[in-house]
Amino acid sequence: MDSAKFLAENVLNERRTVTYRSLSRALKVHANRAKQILFEFHRNENAKRAQSVHATYLISGIQKTPEAPATNGHTNDEDEIMQSSPYLPSSMPNQEIVSDAVRVASIILAREEDLEDAKAIFQSISMIHVYSVQSSTLQDLNTLTDVCREMATAHAQDDPLECGQQWGMIQNRNVKRRTGARPPPAPAAAPAPKAKAESTVLSKQSLQTKPAPAKVESKPEESQPTSDSQSSVKSTGKPAAPKREKSNLFSSFAKTKPPKPKAAESAAQSGVEDMMLDDASEDEPEELFPNTADKAPSANRESKKEREEKLKKMMEEEDVDDEEMRDADEELQRELTPEEQPPLLPSKPAELKEEVTVQGGRRRGKRQVTKKRTLKDEEGYLVTREEATWESFSEDEPAPPKKKPAVNVAKGKTGKPGGQGSIMSFFGKK
Amino acid sequence: MATAEDYGFLRPPSNDDYEPVYRTPSSYNPLQTFTLPMGSVRHYQQQYGDMYFLRLARLKATVEKVATDAWGDITIAGESARRVDRVLDVRQGELCWMAGTVYMDMPLKPNILEDLTKETFTSAPPPRRTYADPSDPSATQIMMEDESGRIRLTGNLLLSTQLATGVIIAALGTETVNGEFEVIDIKVPDLAPQPKRWERDEATTAESKQSGKDASKGSGKIAFVSGLGITGTSSDTLALELLTDYLLGYTSIDGSADASRITRLIIAGNSLGASVTADAASAGSDNAAKKKLAPKKYGYDASAYNSSPITQLDNFLAEILPSIPVTLMAGEKDPANVSLPQQGIHRAMFPQARAYCAPPPSDENKQEVGWFDSVSNPWEGDVEGWRLWGCSGQNVDDVLRYLDFPADDVDPTAERDDSEARLRIMEAMLRWRCGVPTAPDTIWSYPFQTVDPFVLESSPHIFFTGNQPSFKTAVIEADAPFRLDGDTEMTDSAGEPTAGRVRLLSIPKFNETGELVLVDTESLEVEVIRFGTFAGQEEKK
Repeated sequence: MDSAKFLAENVLNERRTVTYRSLSRALKVHANRAKQILFEFHRNENAKRAQSVHATYLISGIQKTPEAPATNGHTNDEDEIMQSSPYLPSSMPNQEIVSDAVRVASIILAREEDLEDAKAIFQSISMIHVYSVQSSTLQDLNTLTDVCREMATAHAQDDPLECGQQWGMIQNRNVKRRTGARPPPAPAAAPAPKAKAESTVLSKQSLQTKPAPAKVESKPEESQPTSDSQSSVKSTGKPAAPKREKSNLFSSFAKTKPPKPKAAESAAQSGVEDMMLDDASEDEPEELFPNTADKAPSANRESKKEREEKLKKMMEEEDVDDEEMRDADEELQRELTPEEQPPLLPSKPAELKEEVTVQGGRRRGKRQVTKKRTLKDEEGYLVTREEATWESFSEDEPAPPKKKPAVNVAKGKTGKPGGQGSIMSFFGKK
Repeated sequence: MATAEDYGFLRPPSNDDYEPVYRTPSSYNPLQTFTLPMGSVRHYQQQYGDMYFLRLARLKATVEKVATDAWGDITIAGESARRVDRVLDVRQGELCWMAGTVYMDMPLKPNILEDLTKETFTSAPPPRRTYADPSDPSATQIMMEDESGRIRLTGNLLLSTQLATGVIIAALGTETVNGEFEVIDIKVPDLAPQPKRWERDEATTAESKQSGKDASKGSGKIAFVSGLGITGTSSDTLALELLTDYLLGYTSIDGSADASRITRLIIAGNSLGASVTADAASAGSDNAAKKKLAPKKYGYDASAYNSSPITQLDNFLAEILPSIPVTLMAGEKDPANVSLPQQGIHRAMFPQARAYCAPPPSDENKQEVGWFDSVSNPWEGDVEGWRLWGCSGQNVDDVLRYLDFPADDVDPTAERDDSEARLRIMEAMLRWRCGVPTAPDTIWSYPFQTVDPFVLESSPHIFFTGNQPSFKTAVIEADAPFRLDGDTEMTDSAGEPTAGRVRLLSIPKFNETGELVLVDTESLEVEVIRFGTFAGQEEKK
């Protein structure tokens, strides 16, 4: 770690502001040493060329009392005020308010030029250290927060539980962190649009990606007491299951495509794989709390499931009329908790066919979709029937909604649309 | 930069090895007093009247006991005071006393009926500094009510006594010819019995108490902060950075041991700045029409919602949580429900910090306490064995509006003056045994049906209020040795002479004052750490 070189590059060449914490993180040194490094750098550079490097200092200590604004407890005779205060019911006995002088310590950030002035307001100073160095005087000290923010994003992958000691952070033996992949530092774009590009490979892919986030999971420190390890053991078991269910969700989309295009798309496989990894990491936050649905009483959940199923049916019935409704439908399916997905999938018939042509990188094709049509028959009944129709699609469009067993049941009943008309036709057929 | 002292840092790098510093462990045992039932069990159809009845039922016996002791054998002009069971049983000209709920009718109080007639009920009433009309103090009427009815209270005593709606009192006096009750004296329930330190933890975790005491050779400290007021712009977060550095032990006052003694940080509401919700709301109404047309997309509409403040808060929490456990209370401006008790800010708002949350509750075992605990407002719990009761400030702010202000004092520049009053109100709440007396009258509240959680069943050791204009603290003591025949619950077999002392804390807004309040866990002594920047030459230019 060549701290001088690092500082020269960042402060002198790139004219960045370096705080002791960003230095500590970048060079992986103790914060206290980083303060000293900054001090030395500042002294050396200014010895070479005056005013080439400017510093800000952090001063902590006890301020002189008159300087203290907005606080009290120093010289205010609170007792006196208390007695004369009219705000208490006179019946309150023994209105004794013991007030005491409160020690007010201050931590003040000051520029190099103001250092002496700033020190003057302190009654006693317990510590001064260099907070940051930069090539020119900071117009606005608030810009330092941007440095802190940059630092936080640049070193987001450092686990504070592991690196904390290195940085000089106060350690806590009792910290309880639930294992599970750490969320991305910045809110990533919604994974939704990517999902439509998924193909059959995805089910395999997602299986492969499963162990990956597990590696990212930070292991609890060994020094932690048993209670922590218990909790971590408990939670490590959990994320695995929903992840598998998640992959089922993807495989449901995958099944909308025949094995044929698999070869065609295998070229793009590596790209898809990357995408999937991204997806997986973006999904992790949801999986941190895989059992949230368990919170609700089971009966409650049942009814919810029913409701959702009904909703879905309704949505699908409107499919024919409204192209946009399919988006909503799909969205609805995605919003389903992972637990509700698996039972639906195995019974899903692989009857949908698809032809895909790739033209100049754009996928176009036709696919067979089952659409529902609701008609009023001769006798005034509403009959819903499913028809397989072909529709063209491009990759801009989302994959068609997958079907559910509930629909199949309905299909069995209304399979012969005319059959419902008279009971005689039913017998006649046999 | 040659300084006489180098403070250990103003010198070239040394090769000292820095010993890892470990934080004093925290003993934490929150109460679920203000946790509302989840989901479908939470109803809003109940009548609010039940809360008043519950409160009266709970506190009437207590205040009557206090009153009996004081007035039991009082005789004025040869007439002995008689206790009247019901407010409507008061006879004219007869010296008597009764207990009931105070109701204050004030000219500027928000009035739903008035709003309905004016058809302005769609918007929330504007915040007022006081409900009293300074130009017409007589418009304020104080009434006492119980199950039977109401009687109007008068008398000079009321001018010097401050009351608020929802307070349970006993009043001694006579009914005048006008049918009003002329008050001679007033009694309040006074401090509730105070639990002993470690009372709740003794039975369950005896060793945690031990570890809490032994591990810290000295004492620990509980840190309180409120009103972080993060708005997501860079201007407001420098003090927050300094706070972070301090809590993590990078900068400390007396060597690095100091910050390591802080066992827990309690954030008492308003972690997000004012503009967040307001802007989002106004933007939301503007774009409402547009949004309806646009097809629904995932996530939020970036034009209507600014995620930056909550992201900043999440970053802050995620940064300090590896080192210090945090209790986060919801506040007036936080993304939680508006009505008290506000429920904790949902952990989904904290994608990073929620890794430190408690795991989701499962049926078989009890909800365990999270390292990062997002709790209700008000909130009650045990920290280091001490009972804490705190609110994010709405309770005090609202009771303050019931107080009389001289007519010239209405301008907001006189802000500084009311900090004494705020502390007084906090004391009064403890003596009223009601933490939020004005709910549900002028503070929105959940319509409780079976229990009024705002009644202080026991006095806390630390009673704190967040988001106050300035820091204030005081210690109040209960009435001199409690009467043995006093409160039934008060008969303390351990022979504790007093109900104890309560430390009042009025916690300032951090974004205005930059102040962090530390309370010593052994002595309950308070100190303040102020974070800020020195306004030097650059600012003066």
